[in-house]
Amino acid sequence: MEILRKTGNQTGARIARKEDEAKVVSVRRLMWLRFKRNRLAVIGGIFLLLMYLAAIFAGFIAPNDPTMVHSQYVSMAPHGLNFVDTDGNFHLIPFVYGVKSAVDPATFRKTFQIIPEEKYPLQFFVRGSEYTILGIFRTDIHLFGVEEPGKLFLFGTDTQGRDIFSRVWFGAQVSLSVGLLGVFLTLVFGSIIGIASGYIGGLFDDIIQRVIELLMSFPQLPLWLALAALVPDNWPSDRIYFAITIVLAILSWGALARQTRSMVYALREADFVTAARYSNCSDWRIITRHLLPNTMSHIIVIATTAIPGMILGETALSFLGLGIRSPLISWGLLLTDAQHIRVLVQQPWILTPAIFVIATIIAFNFLGDGLRDAADPFAK
Amino acid sequence: MTRYIVRRLLQFIPSMILIAFVGFVIMELPPGDYVSNYIRAQALAGNQDMVAQEAALRQQFGLDQPFLIRFANWTINLIRGDFGISLATRMPVSEIIGSKLGATVAVSLCVFILSWAIGIALGVYSATHQYSKTDNFLTTISFIGLGLPDFLIALAFLVLAWQLTGQVLTGLQSPEFIGKPFSIPLLLDFLKHLWIPVTAVVVTGMAWVMRVMRGNLLNELGKNYVTALRAKGVPERTVIWKHAFRNALHPLIGALSQTLAFLVNGFVITSVVLDLPTIQVTYLDATQAQDLFLAGTILTLIGFLVLLGTLVSDLLLAWLDPRIRFS
Repeated sequence: MEILRKTGNQTGARIARKEDEAKVVSVRRLMWLRFKRNRLAVIGGIFLLLMYLAAIFAGFIAPNDPTMVHSQYVSMAPHGLNFVDTDGNFHLIPFVYGVKSAVDPATFRKTFQIIPEEKYPLQFFVRGSEYTILGIFRTDIHLFGVEEPGKLFLFGTDTQGRDIFSRVWFGAQVSLSVGLLGVFLTLVFGSIIGIASGYIGGLFDDIIQRVIELLMSFPQLPLWLALAALVPDNWPSDRIYFAITIVLAILSWGALARQTRSMVYALREADFVTAARYSNCSDWRIITRHLLPNTMSHIIVIATTAIPGMILGETALSFLGLGIRSPLISWGLLLTDAQHIRVLVQQPWILTPAIFVIATIIAFNFLGDGLRDAADPFAK
Repeated sequence: MTRYIVRRLLQFIPSMILIAFVGFVIMELPPGDYVSNYIRAQALAGNQDMVAQEAALRQQFGLDQPFLIRFANWTINLIRGDFGISLATRMPVSEIIGSKLGATVAVSLCVFILSWAIGIALGVYSATHQYSKTDNFLTTISFIGLGLPDFLIALAFLVLAWQLTGQVLTGLQSPEFIGKPFSIPLLLDFLKHLWIPVTAVVVTGMAWVMRVMRGNLLNELGKNYVTALRAKGVPERTVIWKHAFRNALHPLIGALSQTLAFLVNGFVITSVVLDLPTIQVTYLDATQAQDLFLAGTILTLIGFLVLLGTLVSDLLLAWLDPRIRFS
């Protein structure tokens, strides 16, 4: 470039340079292009985005108050929307039948019968129970619902007569955030320890590596169980929530720290780090300005792949009664009733929240797979 | 090779002690101990006399001694083969574990053999037919399988079995067969119960094996030595099974360490929901009741199995691959 400029052929050089720039694609864009190529990952990402949005606006989507006990409608099967009534007439706007409950004199079990004359058409933006969005906006408008005294239980009710559909969305708030919060903790723990271990090296590095090996030699689930059992019963539920998040994060930082360490180890001797050191940069500056940006995309990707495991862990712990406790709602907690086999076989619809757990985990797996490829856009 | 084995065996000992220590510490962490919990429960039930016996009970279980001494005693007894007694049932820990071992091993072995056999076969197929319709299908299935929690599959199967046959297939035997000597109907009954946990866990286990196998084999098939073999005219079957497959097996053998532990404690929740008489359920109950010796022993046992698995997989790798042996 220097020579060209001196020879006076400036315009030619500039044109050549402009053409070059047009062909250059930034790494970020390369990553994006690579990610877009994996269609399953994109679908997974969109699905998760919708799920998280739905969790934030849980109160808006849920037609009923999740903690409200409908004592008349205990353990009712999903009682959905109908387009065709009992006479075979088609309705453009779906409706819900009124229901009357009776006790079967022989089995003492509650039975529900629809009342064909009572029809409650589905309405949008109806007023119902009050709720807040993110604890800030207070409102009582729900996306959809039916007029009182009609009841809308899309997924049926649980053994205490609470609307499972509404509870699923409120449960999503806890279940989905546990994964994010847990991964955030893992990220902070893991990257600090990993970078320190790789950068300092020596005895410190050795000790840290042995500790991680020890931690990783235990299988996750039994340790999670043991640690979750340590959380005192009498804590308030929000404190338990954080305790469970920490329990989930404690066992997963090791893998992350290891990966970070090996990356830092490789970069430590790289030319640009040596150059920085010779130009009298402080360790802090080298770490934050040179090492972190170079490892961050990888670290974040590795961390995302840990989210589904954490969501599953929370579900499992809450399912066993060791995790989230009421009044908080989580997907695992919604499934606890399914532990009683007699209840489960008679009311299989209490397993509906499981579909959400599974879909979310699969979506995260797809997304993680796409991100992993995208993080390394130069690979073949 | 002998030197390699000896070196690995020597590394084994400190790790083992550390694992036992961690297991013990975790069981010790909760506030209070078994005796205080027990007395609280007794007092709530109206049995105030127990309060006076607190110190005596503690002495009986050796809980009044300092932590390190307790740990040392426990470890020495562990080496001697004496695992202590369960605080809750007053039965020797070894007896409890022994009584659960049969069912645990039976379920685990079925799971292990099936998931690895099916997983490896499908993985090889999918790698050798990359991007074919079957491959795409299998890959999607394996992704979904990875996402499915086994206990939920087990629950779904349970409901399904109930709706089809009207039987609740929890446990491993119908009540009328428990404690009966071996017979053909007993075996059939056992198999009838066995399929639910086994299928549920195999679905997830298989998906993982399949994905690893596919990835590794694809990696190997892209290497130059495979091209060279093919150029020489070596039959495709030999190229895959004799050369690429053997190299692709390495990471799976490396994962054996985790597998062994998984077999003993991998499907805790499935066992709980299906009410299987396996060691997992015992472990969960013991952790919740703070039954120190029982839970600690099982946790240490798991850690021990992981170490043993690592040892076995390292030795296997060294045997399979001279590059590792001599480095």
